[in-house]
Amino acid sequence: MNTALQGWGIWLALAGACIGTYLCRAIGVLLSGKINQESEIFQWISAITYAMVAALTVRMIILPLGLLATVPVYLRIGLCLLSFAVMISKPQRRLVPALLTGTLLLMTYGLIV
Amino acid sequence: MTAAKPPPYSPQPFLTPGSEELNGNGQARFADRKEAFWSGFRHAAGAPAMVLFAGMLGFGAMAKTNQIDLWFTSLSSLLMFALPGQVVLLEMAITGSSVLAITLAVTLTSTRFITMTIALFPQLHPRDRNRNLYASVHLLAMTAWAVSMREFQAIESQHRLHYYLGLGLLCWAICFPATIMGYLLAGFVPKWITLGLVFINPLFFLLTFTEVKLAINRLAIILGGILGPCFYLLDRDSSLLITGVVAGTVAYLIDRQFLRHRFKDQSP
Repeated sequence: MNTALQGWGIWLALAGACIGTYLCRAIGVLLSGKINQESEIFQWISAITYAMVAALTVRMIILPLGLLATVPVYLRIGLCLLSFAVMISKPQRRLVPALLTGTLLLMTYGLIV
Repeated sequence: MTAAKPPPYSPQPFLTPGSEELNGNGQARFADRKEAFWSGFRHAAGAPAMVLFAGMLGFGAMAKTNQIDLWFTSLSSLLMFALPGQVVLLEMAITGSSVLAITLAVTLTSTRFITMTIALFPQLHPRDRNRNLYASVHLLAMTAWAVSMREFQAIESQHRLHYYLGLGLLCWAICFPATIMGYLLAGFVPKWITLGLVFINPLFFLLTFTEVKLAINRLAIILGGILGPCFYLLDRDSSLLITGVVAGTVAYLIDRQFLRHRFKDQSP
């Protein structure tokens, strides 16, 4: 199945991807100039953004592409819940210990299996 | 600067990011913009840099195992600086999609930058909201965004831009070398390490959600997390945008109808 893009095509694709991505950022700047942070539309757009970011995160965990898909889904979710518990176990959030808990335990799983 | 100014009174019925109630202790967190910049830089050097470095290492390794050009891979980190979009680009290039299809699919996954920018930049000081933002916005990725959304609440508006620049600059700068490193190391790194590298990214975003304070945004996160995979199974490319608009709008309406009034009653 070696149908990969060859020659100039791959560079055109890169250029298109870069331009498309920057265009989204630039449109954001353009629109943000007209918006006040106390306005209703600001609150609505913030809610949309959080929903998008959450959707992307959950998708990366539950429906991942590539290597992570080889790990059983219950294990991925279980480790996330465990890290989450470590994070909120203290009032001043413990981000790095929580990150290490989940990551190191998954690496241990990868080492055993 | 304006550090000596008494906190202005603002009769807001609910908290918004940057509410005076949150940073109205009358004392500026940073003495000047330079200090704000380096504070952002130092904050980036912890978990955010670790997460991005791991993600880009994994991305570089993924490209190498699929025999994709090194420059193609590393330039995408430098010029796109959006890992989910880069993964889509790589996958579609490997499977031989057309240039137009790749451009459209990547742009659709990047639409989140539109709303991310609209949610972040209005919090900057009016003086900083000028054309230079068209350059600064390139440093915006989910990592820097999540940290900025959290920290901006405790930073005076005139120092926010420089905090963000310090944070974003380090995050962006490490991605190019990290991608090259991942590319060159691929094959030498055992599978279990790669597993950790790809898991740390979504885990970081998940954990930063615990720092979100407003009820409306918490609701949006929960709804987005539930609806996201459902829409993804229906249509892959447009799922993020549709989930965002549906879940975000529902959260906004629920907040407006019910939650906001309750907040107003509770906090005089």
